[in-house]
Amino acid sequence: MGNFTLGRYLPLDSPIHKLDPRAKIMAMLLLLITIFFPAGWIGYGVIFVCVSVVIILSKLSVSFIWKAMKPMLFMLFFLLVINALVLKTGTVLFTIGSWSLYSDAVFQTLYIAVRLLLMIMITTCLTATTKPLEMTLGIEDLLSPFQKIGLPSHEIAMLISIALRFIPDLIDETTRIIKAQESRGVDMKEGKLMERVMAILSLIVPLFVSAFQRAEDLANAMEARGYAPGLPRTRYKQLEMKKQDWFLLACCGVLMGVIIWIAWFR
Amino acid sequence: MPIAFENVSHTYSAGTPYEYQALRNINLEITEGKMTAIIGQTGSGKSTLVQHLNALLLPDAGIVHILDRDIKAGEKAKKLKALRGEVGLVFQFPEYQLFEETIIKDVAFGPKNFGCNEEEATKRAKEALKLAGMDESYFEKSPLELSGGQKRRVAIAGILAMDPKVLVLDEPTAGLDPAGTASMMALFSKLNKEMHKTVLMVTHDMENVYTYCDDVVVLEKGQVKLHGTAREFFSDPKKCRELNILPPYIVRMKEMLNEKGFDIPESVVNMKELADYIAKEVK
Repeated sequence: MGNFTLGRYLPLDSPIHKLDPRAKIMAMLLLLITIFFPAGWIGYGVIFVCVSVVIILSKLSVSFIWKAMKPMLFMLFFLLVINALVLKTGTVLFTIGSWSLYSDAVFQTLYIAVRLLLMIMITTCLTATTKPLEMTLGIEDLLSPFQKIGLPSHEIAMLISIALRFIPDLIDETTRIIKAQESRGVDMKEGKLMERVMAILSLIVPLFVSAFQRAEDLANAMEARGYAPGLPRTRYKQLEMKKQDWFLLACCGVLMGVIIWIAWFR
Repeated sequence: MPIAFENVSHTYSAGTPYEYQALRNINLEITEGKMTAIIGQTGSGKSTLVQHLNALLLPDAGIVHILDRDIKAGEKAKKLKALRGEVGLVFQFPEYQLFEETIIKDVAFGPKNFGCNEEEATKRAKEALKLAGMDESYFEKSPLELSGGQKRRVAIAGILAMDPKVLVLDEPTAGLDPAGTASMMALFSKLNKEMHKTVLMVTHDMENVYTYCDDVVVLEKGQVKLHGTAREFFSDPKKCRELNILPPYIVRMKEMLNEKGFDIPESVVNMKELADYIAKEVK
């Protein structure tokens, strides 16, 4: 469980960590949109360089990004197999029996791989440098204009922050129950079908019981402190856009313009 | 072969910013057949230490010897299941591990995992439940209907039904009322004295350690600071405080009385004896 890096916050001290979460979320959205313009290898090269600069500034290690990318490798391999079987354009690279591998199959897969890598780099850069609480504050603020058309932005943000807050607790709880059941001779990794079903049951049932218990405790604790959804609330932490936040957004805007320009004249 | 740790270290989340060394070069030999308390402040590595005993955690460095098996760092350990049947580990708040529809089924789950057939497992479950002080009228009830203390008895019975040679308990009395604590401790004492099981117990309750345990291991920041008999350890309240451990009431009481000019002998070990002694002296 401890090796799971996708979406995890890393408490480091860097200029990127100090940016306003709203600016970071907006920048991520801009960059994700930018990736989908067909600007070719030059375009991806430009985006890659820019994102790398941000990652270096945020002091994240290459291995951290690589770990986040790892779960996707299987998917990419699968994609390569399908592309190799389906795509029959471009030049023939080599032939085995009646089947031959075409260059477009490889290029298509590489193309998607690069997009995926960029997306993971960008999202990891956001989640690893932004505390979950800041993230929800940012989302709440960004959603607040939609309140006029009836979107409960505060409730949505509260839901997200509660869900995020429980993830580490539930992971701890899961490891604890797994250990407790392993001490009773459960083998979580192997065994016959019936044994595996029992093993999973012995994990799921206690996990649900304790999750409901926690939910009830939290609901009571919130009510006891007078929480009611929909009431106007003040905030302890106020978000404030500074020069460097606008600079980040401006950079992303310029990058997006450049990519659209490349895509246009290609 | 006794239970022994040889230069054992353990680090959590190695290679990440969350890296934390919980055990540092532990050397420790636990005497078989004794009841040993493992004490120390929160975060001193007590829970990490006991989880090495049934190989839930493996050492990063060093060797753990347990019941004629050696678990070496970096070596792929085999047949851990058999070891887990012989070293019964009861976690903190074990009531969270209950999941079956009935109490008897839940307690029989352990023995079945270790290869007992249905009949044998049920027989063992009944014995374990009775040993843990659960009345037969509860056997067919759902574990979720019970009170907190009863749930804990059932969970402990779930480990006892495996008939382990070594029983390891992580804060078994946390959150229980005084009466519940006393009967729980009496149960462990009985398992140790009458059924000759080696009992290891992580605890914060010095009264229990003083009353029931033979030996004491004090951990601090992942290192063994002291290992000796409970009597000897508590006979020196100053040393206890140096290790950040508050001595039990009776020891503090004797300490205060001795400062005021009494000379209470070592043999006085509980409040009643102390009261009798004072009554005799003052007369």
